[in-house]
Amino acid sequence: MKITQPSGSSLGLGLLAAVLLGGFGLVVARSGPLAPTQVTVAHAEERALRAELFGIGTVEARRSYFIGPTAAGRLKAVHVDVGDRVKAGQLLAEIDPVDLDERLRSLEAAYARAQSAVSATEAQRKDMLARREIAGLNARRYRDLGDQHFVSASAVESRQQELTSAQAAVDATEANLQSARQELTRLKADQDALREQRQNLRLLAPRDGIVTSRDAEPGSTVIAGQAVIRLIEPDSLWVKVRFDQGRSRGLAVGQATRITLRSNPGQPLAGQVARIEPLSDSVTEERIAQVGFDQIPPGLSVGEMAEVTVETTVALAALALPNAAVKHTARGTGVWTLQDGKPAFTVVRLGQASLDGLVEVIDGIRREDAVIVHSERDLAPGKRIKVVEQLAGSLK
Amino acid sequence: MISLAGRDILHSWSKFVFTGIGLGLLIGATLTMAGVYRGMVDDAKVLLNNSGADLWVVQQDTLGPYAESSSIHDDVYRSLLTLPGVARAANVTYLTMQVRRGQQDVRAMVVGFEAGQPGEPEYLVAGRQLTRSHYEAVADVKTGFRLGDRIRIRRHDYTVVGLTRRMVSSGGDPMVFIPLKDAQEAQFLKDNDAILNERARTAANPTLNRPGVPGLLDAIQASQTANRNVNAVLVQLAPGAAAEQVASAVKRWKHLQAYSRSEMEEILVAKLIATSARQIGMFLVILAVVSAAIVAFIIYTMTLGKIREIAVLKLIGTRNRTIAGMILQQAMGLGVIGFIVGKTVATLWAPYFPKYVLLEPGDALRGFLAVMLICTLASTLAIRAALRVDPATAIGG
Amino acid sequence: MDGFGIRIEGLRKRYGEGDTAITALKDVNMTVAPGEVVGLIGPSGSGKSTLLKCLGAVIEPTAGRMTLGQEIIYDNGWRLPDLRALRRDRIGFVFQAPYLIPFLDVTDNVALLPMLAGRPNGEARKRAGELLEALDVGHRAKAQPSQLSGGEQQRVAIARALANQPPVILADEPTAPLDSERALGVVRILNDMARQFRTAIIVVTHDEKIIPTFKRIYHIRDGQTFEEPGKAREAPI
Repeated sequence: MKITQPSGSSLGLGLLAAVLLGGFGLVVARSGPLAPTQVTVAHAEERALRAELFGIGTVEARRSYFIGPTAAGRLKAVHVDVGDRVKAGQLLAEIDPVDLDERLRSLEAAYARAQSAVSATEAQRKDMLARREIAGLNARRYRDLGDQHFVSASAVESRQQELTSAQAAVDATEANLQSARQELTRLKADQDALREQRQNLRLLAPRDGIVTSRDAEPGSTVIAGQAVIRLIEPDSLWVKVRFDQGRSRGLAVGQATRITLRSNPGQPLAGQVARIEPLSDSVTEERIAQVGFDQIPPGLSVGEMAEVTVETTVALAALALPNAAVKHTARGTGVWTLQDGKPAFTVVRLGQASLDGLVEVIDGIRREDAVIVHSERDLAPGKRIKVVEQLAGSLK
Repeated sequence: MISLAGRDILHSWSKFVFTGIGLGLLIGATLTMAGVYRGMVDDAKVLLNNSGADLWVVQQDTLGPYAESSSIHDDVYRSLLTLPGVARAANVTYLTMQVRRGQQDVRAMVVGFEAGQPGEPEYLVAGRQLTRSHYEAVADVKTGFRLGDRIRIRRHDYTVVGLTRRMVSSGGDPMVFIPLKDAQEAQFLKDNDAILNERARTAANPTLNRPGVPGLLDAIQASQTANRNVNAVLVQLAPGAAAEQVASAVKRWKHLQAYSRSEMEEILVAKLIATSARQIGMFLVILAVVSAAIVAFIIYTMTLGKIREIAVLKLIGTRNRTIAGMILQQAMGLGVIGFIVGKTVATLWAPYFPKYVLLEPGDALRGFLAVMLICTLASTLAIRAALRVDPATAIGG
Repeated sequence: MDGFGIRIEGLRKRYGEGDTAITALKDVNMTVAPGEVVGLIGPSGSGKSTLLKCLGAVIEPTAGRMTLGQEIIYDNGWRLPDLRALRRDRIGFVFQAPYLIPFLDVTDNVALLPMLAGRPNGEARKRAGELLEALDVGHRAKAQPSQLSGGEQQRVAIARALANQPPVILADEPTAPLDSERALGVVRILNDMARQFRTAIIVVTHDEKIIPTFKRIYHIRDGQTFEEPGKAREAPI
């Protein structure tokens, strides 16, 4: 490179030096530790704050039935399968009765015999009553005859004794009759009990519902209380939601919710908080609540995961800040405010928070105070900063 | 007196500038190497700063959550909170895993933290902190994620709601922050096949699947999928509390290991990046030697090209000091040009490095002094050659 | 400046020691008056370079005496502590090639000597400007040496030799690269300058074109000088 013009040479040289030094100065000032920290700033202002609560849960049936025998036995037949819709009273399964029917028959025979015994005793009683009547008539006639001294006193006494004897025979037969009747009642009760027991071996649907599981097959032995069929009432499906304890403030029955099912994330469903369980989960530190659907969607499956958003309060206007501005330090919760263009830490008291990232400020800053939201790096009091519209990597 | 060196540089400025740029690129590489080391140290410090903790409580006899794996129960923090001097304590999990966005896989350190507690990212560059207790994430910009992206960690999709900067693990993987419960699940949650497998295995175990005990199998299987462990508890001390006292209390009574801030820094810097640091140190030495050699050769060649002029200068009475000064100034001028170019390019290309490169002004100053020293040493060869030039050679050929 | 311009008596120079010693100068005697231009002519190996180096105080003679102006500078040994200053202030050099410093412009090439002697830059440049004007290259004062023609460069070189107004100028084949017209021009300039600045000028040459222009000529053969009158009776035009 041959420079022919001295002026051109010095011009180019000056330019080069300027570019070099300028570039150097620029990069030193613009980047590295000497550069000011870039931050974005928001002003505290009244904003509509929708306090909402987010939790996840699973779809559960409010009422589900575990149907099984009350006594151990062998399963004879299962008449329904998973997914079947059943009506109240429908026979679902049967337990093998073993000798129950025979015992019932024998009891029936005993009952019939007892009935015959009652009839026989009744007939005896009638006979005795008739004898007593005749004895009474005889006794009265002899007494009259005795009073007129037609017969001897001994004959009168004899007739009187006959009457007493007949009366005793009547009493005895009546007692017999009562006993026979009681026997009949006992046998009847026995029979009923056995029938009931027999009936109990037939597992019936208590309500209209859907079979969710068939836990035993014919031939298998089940113990008392073991479920053979599980049934749910499809109308009673709701979502059991777990909320973080720390954020569950304001949760109440009747609050409107949006339920997003895992199977259909695009379409939130409307619902309401139906129940809040009085017991929290102390291990997971979660509050548990049930949220019912306003309208149960078709094809809902039990156990499906759902995301639930509860509106705990209606939108309220409050002094609010983005939560990215809030710092939790050992000194307490606070924000970095801009004072004379330098950051300064201000302790604040926070109220409600909304899911879209706003947080209510109860105390600590005033309206229109400038607060640092995003920053490139750690802030310290009095650090040099530069306010920019946005930092790198923001929304598309 | 005019500056001979300056005039010479101005005269053959193109040679100087191009040589300077070449040297500058080398110096830039050197400064960048130093920056890589500083960056690693700084990453470690930012990692510690960002956790907002004064004390790290981890499994006994382990080196904390970053250098070694550690597992403790997630209710430990409650008992720690009762210790005097502890202001706040929170569970945290760290796990390096693949995070998917669409078809693309990003290796990231997934941090599980509790919102508003130590472990939360201290500052964001965009978006907001987590507000939902599940399925939201704050990601480092180095992951390439943007606000609103849906990312998948194990079985669940997360929405990116905030972005951080400079949040990387000691290995340089960018961090993704998700709610603690999700992280606990993700850490231990297997894929569906594994879960089914495990269930079948449990069901096949006759002692766990007893016909006479209905519900036992279900209970066991439920307990198998739940995880109640975390990697560490981050403790913030109350103002005025001594870290050592609290740490010794934790060690003694809770049977856990506790590290203070300085111990943690020691672990990260001394243990994790020590080898890398030595590696870089070696590089720096080589680069310094190469730089010195280049400057020496260039100045020497340039001086040899001027032997005639130097002889004339000597003949007409220029002092050796003036000539040596000229060469020295030229070498230093080359160094200055090189340094400026080097510092500029290093600053320009530093952001494009996959790991953080921190160019400290102190390093730049030391680098400048080193460059000047190297140039001075390198010019001695040329100066010796110049001083040996016999002024008589100018006469009579 | 009166007295001798330069006077050399019995100057000897031996290279090396003992058997391998070579005697380059055996007995050199020269006197050049201020304002006078003399030619020094000799074949290669005759010792003229050695003589020039001795005169230029870059090698030390073995014996003899040299007087510059009023002052004896060598008498079987240097009488001055600082030969560099001597070369700078009291001897001007004009070489075979101009040997201008390529990175200095014309003015600074000339001004360098006064600057080296400690003159302020302004004064040195002013002096350089005057000399350049006198040598008719004032219009190229700001040019780079590489932009000058051969003759212009040689004139600048002469201006440099004169810059510190030395009592003596040593010119080593100053016309070698030039054609005869330019060579004669250079000789004319040297004569003019010698007269103008009262400088003693020794022109070492074997250029046939200019030999006739000298009033006095010293021949040097085998280290010995022989004076003879030159062909020019008058200063060449």
